[in-house]
Amino acid sequence: MTSFIKETQSSIKEAVTFINAIDVNKFSRLISRIIQKLHLKGERTFSEEEEDKLQAALSLDKQALNLVLETAAFILEQAVYHNVKPTSLQQQLEAVHLNPDKAEVISQTWATAGPEVVEKLKHSTFAPKKLEYVGWQLNLQMAQSSQARLKSPSAVLQLGLRNEDSEVQENVFVDFNHQELLDFYNKLEIVQGQLDTLT
Amino acid sequence: MSSSHTKDASFLGGRIPAEIESMSKNLKDVDQELFRKILKAVVSALEGKDSREAMKSIAESSIIPQERLSHIVAGMYKVLSEAIRIPTSSLKQEAFREDLRELRIPEDFITDFSSVVFGNRRAALDAATSQNDPHLPTVEDFKWRVDVAISTSSLARALQPSVLMQMKLSDGSFHRFEVPVSKFQELRYNVALILKEMNDLEKRNILKIQD
Repeated sequence: MTSFIKETQSSIKEAVTFINAIDVNKFSRLISRIIQKLHLKGERTFSEEEEDKLQAALSLDKQALNLVLETAAFILEQAVYHNVKPTSLQQQLEAVHLNPDKAEVISQTWATAGPEVVEKLKHSTFAPKKLEYVGWQLNLQMAQSSQARLKSPSAVLQLGLRNEDSEVQENVFVDFNHQELLDFYNKLEIVQGQLDTLT
Repeated sequence: MSSSHTKDASFLGGRIPAEIESMSKNLKDVDQELFRKILKAVVSALEGKDSREAMKSIAESSIIPQERLSHIVAGMYKVLSEAIRIPTSSLKQEAFREDLRELRIPEDFITDFSSVVFGNRRAALDAATSQNDPHLPTVEDFKWRVDVAISTSSLARALQPSVLMQMKLSDGSFHRFEVPVSKFQELRYNVALILKEMNDLEKRNILKIQD
C-alpha cells in the first residue's frame, strides 16, 4: 500500500531526529500511553504537569516535545485510519529514517494495542444518544379510577439512553399492553431481518 | 323445597350514594323527553366533552327548578359512571336493571340507562374515561433505520452496522437514539421474554381470580 508517512511531510524529518535521540525504554512507555488515549478525541494525552516532567526526562524543550507527541499521535492515528499491518508500519517508519529500535517499539505496540483501538472507534458514533440499558417490569393491572376489575397485563420498558459525551443516563419509561408489545416486537423482527441481510 | 334467592350487593356497593338517593326522589316529575335530553348531556360529559351549553339550554327550557335539576343530573351522572367502571363481563344487564328497580327508578328510564351501559357506544365511553387515568407514556409512533458506517474521520473502512430508532411517545416527548447491534439483540430478546411471560400470565390468571 502507499505509504502514509512521507519524509516530505514538513515536520516529519525534524521529529524523527528528536525521536531517535530519546532513550528507547522511555519512548516505549510514551507510545503506550499515547495509544491508550487515542480513541478519546479532544482529550489531552498528558496534563500540563506531566508535559513539564517529560521535557525534563527527555531533555527536550517545549516545542520539541510538542512536535514529538504530535508526530507520534499522527503516526498512530494514520495506522488506525488505514488499519495498517504492523510489518508495513515498521517498514514505513524505517523508510523515513526512524531508528530500527524505535520503529520496532511502535509497530509492536501497534500490534498489541491497535486492534482494540480500531474496535472502539468502530463503535463510536455521531448519534446524539445511544441505548445503553434495557430493563423491564411486567405488571398485572387490577383497576384504575375509571375501571374496576381489570386484570390487564402491562409491561413497562426502561430504556437507558446516554449522550456520547456525558456520564448521565437518561431513563425513558414506556408502557405497553399485550397488543402494543406484539406490534413492537413484529417491528423489531423486521429490523432483525434487515440486519441479517448485511452479514 | 325453597330456594332463597340471595341477591348480590348492588353494583353501587353496600351504600347507595347520596346523589342517587336524591335523584330517585326527584325523578317523578321528569318526563321521558327531558330525561333523554339530560341523559344525552351526561353521556357527553362522561366522554370528556364540554356539555355546559346543553345543560344551560335544558335548565332554561324546563319548568323544573334548578336545584332539583342539579340533583337529578348529579344522580344520573353517578349511576352511569359507577356502572361503566365495571366490565360488562361482571355486570349483567338483568342485575343492573334489578338494582335500578330497587332504587324505584321508572322502567322506561331503566331501559334508557341500560342502552348506554350495554349499547354499542360503551367501548367508546370506556376509552374516553380511561384517558384521564394515570399511566406511563405509550409509543405513538416508532420509526427505525439500519445504517452501515462505511468510513469515518477516524477509520477509512469501518463497515459497522447500527440501528437508529425514533420514538414519539403519547406524552409528546420525542427520542432519537442509536442502538448498537448487540444492544438491539438484547432488546429483542427481552421483548420476546416479556411476551412469553404475558402469555403465561393470561393463561394462569383466568383460572384463578374469580369475579
